[in-house]
Amino acid sequence: MSRITDLQKNLFGGTTSNARQFGMISTLVAIVLLFQIWTDGLTLTSGNLIAVASQYSYILILAIGMLMVIVAGHIDLSVGSVAAFTGIVVAKAMQEYSLPWPLGILLGLLVGAAIGAWQGFWVAYIGIPAFIVTLAGMLLFRGGNQYIGNADTVPVPEGFRKIGAGFLPEVGPDTGYNNLTLLLGAAACAGMVWREWKARQTRREMKADVAPLWVMGVRLAVMLGVIIFATLRFAGGRIGTSLPISGIILIVLVLAYSYYTRNTIGGRHIYAVGGNARAAELSGVKLKRVNFFVMMNMSVLAALAGMIFVARSAASGPQDGLSWELDAIAAVFIGGAAVSGGLGTVSGSIVGGLVMALLNNGLQLEGVGSDLVQMIKGLVLLLAVAFDVYNKSQGRFSILGALMRPFRRDDDPSTPKTPPSPASDTDKAKVAG
Amino acid sequence: MRSLVIRSIAAVGAAALLTLGTACSNEREGSTASTDGKGFGKDALIGVALPAKTSENWVLAGDLFTNGLKEAGFKGDVQYAGASTTVADQQAQISSMVTKGAKVIVIGATDASQLSTQVSQAKEAGATVIAYDRLITNTKDVDYYIAYDNFKVGQLQGQALVDGMKAKKPKGPWTIELFSGSPDDNNSKVFFDGAMEVLKPLIDKGDIVVGSKQTDIKQTATQGWKAENAQQRMDSLLTSAYGGKKTLDGVLSPNDTLARAILTSVKGAGKPVPVVTGQDSEVESVKSIMAGQQYSTINKDTRKLVAETINMVKSLQKGDKPTINDTKSYDNGSKVVPSYLLPPVIVTKKNAAEAYANDPKLSPLTK
Amino acid sequence: MTATAPTLLEMGSITKTFPGVTALADVSLVVREGEIHAICGENGAGKSTLMKVLSGVHPYGSYTGDIVYRGEQVRFHDIRASEQAGIVIIHQELALVPGMSITENLFLGNEPRRRGSIDWKTAQRRALELMEQVGLREDPDTLIKDIGVGKQQLVEIAKAFAKDVKLLILDEPTAALNEDDSQHLLDLLRGFRERGITSIIISHKLNEIEAIADTITILRDGRTIESLDVQADGVNEDRIVRGMVGRALDSRFPDRTPDIGEVFFEVRDWTVRHPTSDERLVCKGSTFHVRRGEIVGFAGLMGAGRTELAMSLFGRSYGTWLSGRIFKDGEEIQLKTVADAIGHGLAYVSEDRKSIGLNLLDDIKTSMVAAKLSKIARRSVIDPVRENRIAEEYRQSLRIKTPGVDEGVVKLSGGNQQKVVLAKWMFTDPDLLILDEPTRGIDVGAKFEIYGIIQRLVAQGKGVVVISSELPELIGLCDRIYTVFEGTITGDVARDDADPELLMKQMTATKKSPTP
Repeated sequence: MSRITDLQKNLFGGTTSNARQFGMISTLVAIVLLFQIWTDGLTLTSGNLIAVASQYSYILILAIGMLMVIVAGHIDLSVGSVAAFTGIVVAKAMQEYSLPWPLGILLGLLVGAAIGAWQGFWVAYIGIPAFIVTLAGMLLFRGGNQYIGNADTVPVPEGFRKIGAGFLPEVGPDTGYNNLTLLLGAAACAGMVWREWKARQTRREMKADVAPLWVMGVRLAVMLGVIIFATLRFAGGRIGTSLPISGIILIVLVLAYSYYTRNTIGGRHIYAVGGNARAAELSGVKLKRVNFFVMMNMSVLAALAGMIFVARSAASGPQDGLSWELDAIAAVFIGGAAVSGGLGTVSGSIVGGLVMALLNNGLQLEGVGSDLVQMIKGLVLLLAVAFDVYNKSQGRFSILGALMRPFRRDDDPSTPKTPPSPASDTDKAKVAG
Repeated sequence: MRSLVIRSIAAVGAAALLTLGTACSNEREGSTASTDGKGFGKDALIGVALPAKTSENWVLAGDLFTNGLKEAGFKGDVQYAGASTTVADQQAQISSMVTKGAKVIVIGATDASQLSTQVSQAKEAGATVIAYDRLITNTKDVDYYIAYDNFKVGQLQGQALVDGMKAKKPKGPWTIELFSGSPDDNNSKVFFDGAMEVLKPLIDKGDIVVGSKQTDIKQTATQGWKAENAQQRMDSLLTSAYGGKKTLDGVLSPNDTLARAILTSVKGAGKPVPVVTGQDSEVESVKSIMAGQQYSTINKDTRKLVAETINMVKSLQKGDKPTINDTKSYDNGSKVVPSYLLPPVIVTKKNAAEAYANDPKLSPLTK
Repeated sequence: MTATAPTLLEMGSITKTFPGVTALADVSLVVREGEIHAICGENGAGKSTLMKVLSGVHPYGSYTGDIVYRGEQVRFHDIRASEQAGIVIIHQELALVPGMSITENLFLGNEPRRRGSIDWKTAQRRALELMEQVGLREDPDTLIKDIGVGKQQLVEIAKAFAKDVKLLILDEPTAALNEDDSQHLLDLLRGFRERGITSIIISHKLNEIEAIADTITILRDGRTIESLDVQADGVNEDRIVRGMVGRALDSRFPDRTPDIGEVFFEVRDWTVRHPTSDERLVCKGSTFHVRRGEIVGFAGLMGAGRTELAMSLFGRSYGTWLSGRIFKDGEEIQLKTVADAIGHGLAYVSEDRKSIGLNLLDDIKTSMVAAKLSKIARRSVIDPVRENRIAEEYRQSLRIKTPGVDEGVVKLSGGNQQKVVLAKWMFTDPDLLILDEPTRGIDVGAKFEIYGIIQRLVAQGKGVVVISSELPELIGLCDRIYTVFEGTITGDVARDDADPELLMKQMTATKKSPTP
């Protein structure tokens, strides 16, 4: 069985706690395949993927910020209202004071930062629970949206709409695909290979067990396959469409924030504060600064998400951002974050968000009513977290292991000469205590 | 063992690539806008995107579309927006319909000005877009608009209010309150303007007094067409402007749901029932009219509107130009949308039996 | 009590496995009626697991083997079933609600009712009876959070009486208690024995066990090693230790020749106010110093203000600073935040490892570098290779028992967790290391190793402050001991003069002895 465990250990990240991630990714793949078959192949058409990317990019952007808030042990209920408030301020500024749209975006980010500073101040420096501060913010900024917009819809100029409804231009020779998207895909492939090689080098420097070459090959092949497939899909849509601009913004944010949370001191501090605030404080972490930062960062991302939605809708309206906070929070928890803080990853939250998005999309393609869709989404959230809780109570659990169990009996006698694997079993050997 | 694993993985990989390859057929093609004069298949997919199920009428319309499209031989895809995430839901639903290759998309908009991206998307994919009941604004990609003549609705409501009050109390001045619909619904203003065309001269003369002096549409608006919002506003009006023995003779209400909410509020305050207008012929309101509570409603027979919409789809299928009777009134900010308007009918207790004679659900109530 | 007393409980051939780990292998335990039965063993030997099997926390069916209680085969499916049979377990972490009164806690989940509502009169009366039985004199309406740990422990025991206990199991009952409270508790257990109540006690404090137990069962690595009759076998501490670790420990403290240098750290007139109460001073004009290469002990009863002193020095992490100055290498330094303190070479290892010393969600390597991330980062980007290498170095030099530094700290035993915390602070390369109860809840073998680590640190010229409630530990380890009583330093005793009696006198009296 050593190869199976090798594969399982190294396919997705190669460290502990990847059972959860593996579970999420399998769920995502299962949902995609299910709907791909059910909708007669509509799910993975270019048009649909492009639509899904632009429809859910703003929720996923919120999920990034929400992940950091939840990891730090807080919650933010105000994101939808902050998004709506920013949207109306920017739309009004552009309509009534004819602010050029690039400045409009800047204004939106500043509004988000100001709101974030306000909320961060109450949470970090006065010590009011984020639940209360952002519940207040939810009312405050929803009301603010209606006060400024008179509950009216305010259209935004063409240039601004690009960030929500725009695509990459068509340049270069006619290849039958959107060339810029192809270039991005190629860059992503190169990046992936480089990263894999780098990670291998790092593990070798650490003198940790390096995955067998064939495992790395499989892993790389799977990932490159996914990237190439996605690239061709996004590049192969109707002329004039490509990977949406909002999708590119999302990808950049995901990469940047994954890096920040995993590899920097600031990121470590967020996990430390969420895991045990007092211990973090006694280790020299500036608690207030971390709390202030995560709350502020969330509002800035909410402002960005709000602008993207307004751009996509071509107008800012009074119903913008309704119950977005719930979608974002659900994505984060489906993605494996802990309610009590300290645990969770950006990539997990994105996968969680995609599970929700594709579920939604698939059910809509099937013509399932929004009432049922909501019920199904609710159940999925509950089951995902229940699965997690169950796993924890049962000790480590591996899906792949469970899947492969039926084959074990056939496998073992047929390969009597396989030496006992040093990797899997000694790992689980008794640890004192 | 090793080679076996490698071989099996290679096999799986090859299979995966094969499926990818076949799945990767390119969808790249130019815009196939303007299907006019070409028509499409008789069993084509027709998408219908409706707002959340907040009023009986939308539920009825949905059922009628589902059955009507089926009878006409089309594949219908009727969707409602979710109750709390209306705009985003509807945007996603329209995108899905485009993906599925709908030839005509009928949209009853939740927020008329936030759908332009999806409408253009539909247009580019070659679908014809019909705005149903509510005009979609800020886009030149709407093809047709079909609705009851809403200005006329407003006029009828205003007139009914005046008639009703005269019947109860022959001599003025009469005290009234004004309510209008959701500010994000294009029709709200049209109803209100229609009614005010009748009421304004009387207010100016002093025959009619607005107790709270709230006559601006921003003050009278009811966010989201929600009954609770109307009830709340009526509660506060009664407290602020109708203390003591002051009574209220009439209330202009833009639809039945709000009319009932207003009546609930007035009754709760222990005031005599005023003349209240309505619209939509909802079951509860028809009962209320027969019981002498609500004064009037408007019969905009959803059956007729849906039937006309399906007729429009049929002509488009054949490649004909659909029937239009108004080409100048409905400017959505980007263009004047060719419209087909149906005439509304005012219904009071007197003519209810006659007006609903053909309605299987409502006619028993009038007997 | 004689060895011929009838058997109350017999657990035979108990085997319990967790995924990948065998926690108990063929363990047997025989408890006679009316005795005090001690279970000894290092952490991870299986003591707690055995008690969980007995009390139904691990239900029947999840283990193999037989439990015969009062002559009958029993199968407990949950803790309720065992409690009904009169077996009550009191855990190390007390299960009391801090915001409720003593009475409310006593009858939580077991409230006397009359016509559907709680009968507070009866509850009050019975509470007083129960409190009398355990010698607790308090107003039954006092909130749990307002009484000390020792009294809370008594409330727990009284709660057991409310459930009509036949067999009382105490898991580390004196771990958090000071000498006085411990003594009181042990006396109480003797009283119970006279009244025919059987007790099982799990403890690391071997002197207590020697003093109180009738029979001792020793577990090692999930197996029963031996069962000793204290009187008949003439058992003493060394004998128990031999059983627990499988060999005799020659000495409980590693050998060391002190090499003490100049005074480098000095605190003068340190006065700190309680964080919430304006009148209470937790430190009153404390003045002390530490030399390079010196291990300085702080002795005092629970609540004497030792931890408060240490934490207030460490970046003012506790209370409100009123006055006092800190000098390091002759210069005055300001330590207003924890970051300042770390920057000036201070390190504080908390007494409460689990709740404020470690982030239990972290893995070993993350924990080790957490207090000085800048050392493994370049432009605030963490270098995973360096992190891993450093963690490996500490794992080897501190002999931390773990399959790898990627493991979660939560999986480690107490002793190994403590080593991780030590590594975390050694990594900050401090000049002065303050260790608050560094060996609490740690087994004998690990204690020895931790003493060794402390000695190695001072040999490098660092200063170490050890706060401990165990006088033998301070006397065995320290070069000099300060005694603390109610926020005041009452004595400064050199190693050669230190004996428990003298220290205890100074720990309980305000009379200030002359300081050199």
